[in-house]
Amino acid sequence: MSSTTVKSSSAKPSSAKPSSAKNTLVGWLMASPLVLILGCFLLLPIIAIVAVSFWASTEYSYFPAFIFENYEFLLTSPVTLSVYIKTFMFTGITWFLCLVIGFTVAYFLAFHVRTLPMQIGLFLLCTVPFWTSNIIRMISWIPFLGRNGIANNALQDMGLIDEPLEWLLFSDFAVILAFVHLFTLFMIVPIFNSMMRLDRSLIEAAVDAGASSRQVLTNVIIPLTKPGIMIGSIFVVTLVMGDFITVRFMSGGQSASVGRVISNEIALLQYPAASASAVVLLLTVLIMIGIMLRFVDIRKEL
Amino acid sequence: MKSKTSNKAGSKYLNSKGTQRRTLMKGAAATVAAGTITGAPLIWAQNIKNVTLRQFGTGVSNLNDVANKVKEDLGFTLEMTALDSDSVTQRAATQPKSFDIADIEYWICKKVWPAGNLQAMDTSKIDNYDNIVGIFRNGKLNPDSVIAQGTAPHSVGFVDGPEGKEFVDEESGWMTLIPTIYNADTLGIRPDLIGREISTWAELLNPEFKGKASILDISSIGIMDAAMVCEAMGEISYGDKGNMTREEIDKTMAIFTEAKKNGQFRAFWKSFDESVNLMSSGEVVIQSMWSPAITAVRSKGIPCVYQPLKEGYRSWGGGLGLSKNLSGLELDAAYEYINWYLSGWVGGYLMRQGYYSAVPSTSKDFMSEDEWGYWFEGKESQGEIVNPQGVVLEKAGAVRDGGSFEERMGRVACWNAVMDENQYMVRKWNEFIAA
Amino acid sequence: MHGRRGLSFYLLAFFFALFVLFLYGPTITIAILSFQGPQGGLTFPMNGVSTHWFGELFKQQAVGDIWGSFRRSFALGLMVMVTTVVVSVMGGLAFRKHFRGSGFVFYLVIGSLIVPSILISLGVGILFNQLDLDVHWSTSGFGSQLTWTLPFGLLIMFAVFNRFDSAYEEAARDLGASPWQTIRHVVLPIIGPSLIGVALFGFTLSYDEFARTLLTAGSYNTLPLEIFGMTTSVTTPVLFALGTFTTAFSFIVIGLFALLYWLSNKRRAIGKD
Repeated sequence: MSSTTVKSSSAKPSSAKPSSAKNTLVGWLMASPLVLILGCFLLLPIIAIVAVSFWASTEYSYFPAFIFENYEFLLTSPVTLSVYIKTFMFTGITWFLCLVIGFTVAYFLAFHVRTLPMQIGLFLLCTVPFWTSNIIRMISWIPFLGRNGIANNALQDMGLIDEPLEWLLFSDFAVILAFVHLFTLFMIVPIFNSMMRLDRSLIEAAVDAGASSRQVLTNVIIPLTKPGIMIGSIFVVTLVMGDFITVRFMSGGQSASVGRVISNEIALLQYPAASASAVVLLLTVLIMIGIMLRFVDIRKEL
Repeated sequence: MKSKTSNKAGSKYLNSKGTQRRTLMKGAAATVAAGTITGAPLIWAQNIKNVTLRQFGTGVSNLNDVANKVKEDLGFTLEMTALDSDSVTQRAATQPKSFDIADIEYWICKKVWPAGNLQAMDTSKIDNYDNIVGIFRNGKLNPDSVIAQGTAPHSVGFVDGPEGKEFVDEESGWMTLIPTIYNADTLGIRPDLIGREISTWAELLNPEFKGKASILDISSIGIMDAAMVCEAMGEISYGDKGNMTREEIDKTMAIFTEAKKNGQFRAFWKSFDESVNLMSSGEVVIQSMWSPAITAVRSKGIPCVYQPLKEGYRSWGGGLGLSKNLSGLELDAAYEYINWYLSGWVGGYLMRQGYYSAVPSTSKDFMSEDEWGYWFEGKESQGEIVNPQGVVLEKAGAVRDGGSFEERMGRVACWNAVMDENQYMVRKWNEFIAA
Repeated sequence: MHGRRGLSFYLLAFFFALFVLFLYGPTITIAILSFQGPQGGLTFPMNGVSTHWFGELFKQQAVGDIWGSFRRSFALGLMVMVTTVVVSVMGGLAFRKHFRGSGFVFYLVIGSLIVPSILISLGVGILFNQLDLDVHWSTSGFGSQLTWTLPFGLLIMFAVFNRFDSAYEEAARDLGASPWQTIRHVVLPIIGPSLIGVALFGFTLSYDEFARTLLTAGSYNTLPLEIFGMTTSVTTPVLFALGTFTTAFSFIVIGLFALLYWLSNKRRAIGKD
């Protein structure tokens, strides 16, 4: 390896430098554990799912075949469409709320908190609840939001409402609340990271040039934290699209998302049907992420 | 790999088990080894202490107390894994190597038996076979009883031989599951929040309880509740609730989907615990419920009634099945365990929780006269009734809802069911949940 | 921007405080409910106050095996942590070579991040089933979790290496260091603190992973699966006591990592003097 190549290499995997045969060999060798693991536990399983989605099944087993019935049932059922609409609704609202909250919190931490230890301290404060089991965090909303829960009791004591609010629990509201609660952190981290990397002199330059703080925000900070926003959005979107457990707990089993339909099918041993649903979900998610990636070159921005 | 897992206390057994298992896998060699072992009773008695049997099932009966008692009475180790009923079905059907004993319900048995992961049991090796209640043998509680609709336990209780795949109607001597636990379910209500008489399944969809009703989200059970309701409402008359036609399934699900869209249900539940919490927190005032769940609500000081209804009960039963991979010493240990299971201690334990034992006569020896009177005979309790953990369930003078064993189990209208059109039903049920 | 604290600061601070309250609400609810009296249930109202349920937590439960699953999750967390660190560092170094086909590997990593977790669970379950292999938390469960932790590890490594000044390496090479020596004595010490971050991610993501282990854990439950099982069979606040306990445990783990980070920074600081 000549020293000139080294010098010009700015660790960005995308930079299109001609790769020498030796580099390629060493590179593949070093990446081989990674490729091996992802090959065995990501690629092969997905291939298996695609294959099984064409298989036939009985009550208790599934066996090789080449039928389209699973897709046919899936794509002709009116419920599929309504489930996808519901899932998109959950995803959209959750994404929006996570973005607004996540951005505001990251903005506060990055630009309004002045010392680094304080920034890190407050940031860690946001990450701690993330360490309790997700399931326990979810079900602990139940005593909070229930008909006789803290929220309703407090509101009634304050005289704001006469009757307990029914829609607080076992509703779409509860589902979205739990999503925002669980996933906002995934938005905060990358945005905060982008903001901390942002060159402060750019802001000062903008201020010196007479920009108002709103202009600084919209013309400097937001464009420059776009990669963080995108990465956070990708996290939130994929997490919500694939979720099945939050929807089940928080809707009291009454709402369905795509993930939940799949998990029900798995539970009922309908693996081929579940696989077909999974393939459609995967394609949907890939398309969504593909569109999002058009707005940002994730390889360059990391 | 096995030896690396799990807790320290059990690792000794796991180790020896791991070796054994590997040997057994080798087939021919294993048969020889096992033969030698069973041939020598002395060695057998020592070796059986090194056996570990892995049992899985729902939390209802996969109790650590049972495992502890097995260790104490029989000397070998029983590892318990408690799962929800979906995972139970899944494991029984797809992971035969992950268990030795399956503690499953009869409708699950109907579903997974054809997968061939379980082996039939020789009833001549079951000491208390003749004392098992008729429900599990010929389907009849009393000689003149009418057999209820649905997957009645006896109908999937026997196969035609040790390798049998087909269920047979008569007592063939080869049992699929050894019955252990069963009960009759009905609507549970909060009398304090309802304030009037409830006497029919139709009340579940009564708009009066809008947003305060609930139903069980396990398709094979939920569909039967739904059928009881639709029949009671006079909306549908079924040929056979336990084996519906596609049209009947569609109609039933349409009625329930409509109710769901109108906001009749507060939530759906999947487990014992959820039903208890829904009821005790007042989220739900009327729902199909299991008898011990009602007891659990009541033990928190909250009024809750197991409401006998004029249409009768929906019943369920569970039992122990043996993995087809069991052989030799482990198979012997499994029979030993099953015989012990039916010999009364577990029966008494389960009865004091509000379930019924498959061999009531042996359980009686492990219950006080007052307990027997209260739980089984439907008599007024003389003193406090406590559960196996010592929690007081009822004060003196209480009478069990629904009365005696005969009154309850004698009025079963249907069993949890797996129908011919089950796959269709499951898809429709899934749509109902998603609607 | 850095002048006096204006109205916007206080508004934002208020918003932040609300957010923290929102984040901690459930944690606090659990903490309160875990001190329910012996007769208390999973919901309000409180039925007396006691530490009864913490005591219960350390006794054997009616069903299940909390501590066994805790040990398994802990062991699995450590396995995943070590593997994630090693594989991520190797992967990160590999990408610096710009080898042919790195684009494919890169999208594989991104793909791993965005594939819904239930697909991994389903796919690995089906795969093992078809190959007639036993699913077990330490094999199939382990692999499934890596598909989630590795992308995180690699993303961090990318971020680290993007800011890595290769002058250090050149200097080492000019002084005659072999490639391995360069990595061992120059690269690793510099990226060391970030590796603590990777390790932390690896451990916690594994420790709390539910969906990916659902169909891949086999006979023995990991802690999240056990907790899920408990929600179907436990009607007592012992569940919340467990929640409070695991939160406290998490605090300890974070504390340890923070200490480690601080120590390694301090050592480096001393080294620089």
